[in-house]
Amino acid sequence: MTTAPEKLAAQGTHEKISESLISTLPGYTYVDEGVFEAEQERIFEQMWFCAVRSADLEKPGSFKTVQIGRESVIVSCNRKGEIRAFFNICRHRGVKLCMEESGQAERSFQCPYHAWTYDLDGKLIAAPNLTKMPDIDRHEHGLVKVHIREYLGYVWLCLAEEPPSFEEDVMGAIEERLGDVHKIDGYDVANLSLGRRITYDVKANWKLIIENFMECYHCATIHPELTEVLPEFADGLAAQYFVGHGAEFGENIKGFTVDGSEGLDVIPGVAEDQDRRYYAITIKPTVFVNLVPDHVIIHRMFPMAADRTIVECDWLYLPSVVESGKDVSASVELFHRVNQQDFDACERCQPAMSSRIYAKGGVLVPSEHHIGAFHDWVMDQVGDVVPESSHGVRKEVR
Amino acid sequence: MSSETDQMMRVCPLSQLARGDAMRLETRPPIALFHTEEGELFAIDDTCTHQDASLADGYVEGCEVECPLHASKFDLRTGKVDAPPAKLPVRVHTVEVLDGDIYLKESEEEPNLPPGITVDGHV
Repeated sequence: MTTAPEKLAAQGTHEKISESLISTLPGYTYVDEGVFEAEQERIFEQMWFCAVRSADLEKPGSFKTVQIGRESVIVSCNRKGEIRAFFNICRHRGVKLCMEESGQAERSFQCPYHAWTYDLDGKLIAAPNLTKMPDIDRHEHGLVKVHIREYLGYVWLCLAEEPPSFEEDVMGAIEERLGDVHKIDGYDVANLSLGRRITYDVKANWKLIIENFMECYHCATIHPELTEVLPEFADGLAAQYFVGHGAEFGENIKGFTVDGSEGLDVIPGVAEDQDRRYYAITIKPTVFVNLVPDHVIIHRMFPMAADRTIVECDWLYLPSVVESGKDVSASVELFHRVNQQDFDACERCQPAMSSRIYAKGGVLVPSEHHIGAFHDWVMDQVGDVVPESSHGVRKEVR
Repeated sequence: MSSETDQMMRVCPLSQLARGDAMRLETRPPIALFHTEEGELFAIDDTCTHQDASLADGYVEGCEVECPLHASKFDLRTGKVDAPPAKLPVRVHTVEVLDGDIYLKESEEEPNLPPGITVDGHV
């Protein structure tokens, strides 16, 4: 097996072009169906995937369906209030059980084709003539379970038979950015309440969105409001460039709001050295976390196609803030604008990814070089996939 | 033993059927025995009169059991069905507890079994 750098060298990606410049991924990795399929199979269907906010599934029988890689998954709440997740497929003839994005199951999940009926723990409880087929094991022919972890108030799923270490992959990403995984504890993310949720349907490859989130070279150009609140962003170095560094609010900035006005009640556990600072974390493959003193923003991406990604963004505040009905709009508006500005930029990049001008990709300046590590990681997963465009037919050399 | 229990079938100790649980007895035809959350015991024919589904796998709410397949509800006291697709009632059987054991006396009426089903199972 070749190591990542050898593979990359062989592919001619991530090459050092000059003292200042290294290359990005080649254009085809953002548009090629074969690459996207490999990413679905080897990344989204293998890693821990942040799927649903736990509080969205509080009532027994409430469910959501989510697209993870090529699979549809039902995430639901059983009679005891515990979260369960299953492949959204009837074990009998393969019908998709739940068509809705969310809903409320009465007492069971019932297939609309032959009425195979599963309880909220996935066990097969009834089917026409089932009593005459005592050899059918009701657990074995129940819905196929998906691995679950609850963390930061979200349900994380893993479709792999043997999930990777949650501690290393998910908590490790927080540790890597903040320098200490426990530095997120003070924000008490799991116990915050949802103040606002906005869903963005972005016509861009998921990697463009990650790359955008990781760098701040664009901040002074496309994020005037954010750069006003966090003046140090004008030098182009993102919070993600450093370890344990939070970007400091500007002198006259009262809160993390669109106009720098006062924010909401500060989360009590936020440490003194975290106050008036903004932290940003990328948890591969699809999650962004922003921490500011009075709220936490969680982005969950759902890559739907090579050129389409749905991003669900939650703004979380202290429960007392949400219950009191305080106006969070100035607070939400800041990052909502940032999101729109970012996703517009990503959508503007997407069409050029298939241009012959971008066949070898573009370049990264020094303040973006840390994105190279993300590119290395991507190529380590799917670098062996030969693009369809170059051969007419897709081939895999792995 | 009283003369009454002589004609009754001993099923199992009451302790083996917790409140909220149901069991299917492999009689001819099968009988469903329910111990409700409220602590009452009921026995009716286990097979829904619409299609072969086990009512012991259904959902009990109050004194009714809902068929797990197509949601017709049967009254546990009378056997009557509330709404289609099932149209005919199930039989109700006599249940008693004596010395901690559940006893059952099967109804002498003709059972209403779904098409294709006899007391011995499938045709």
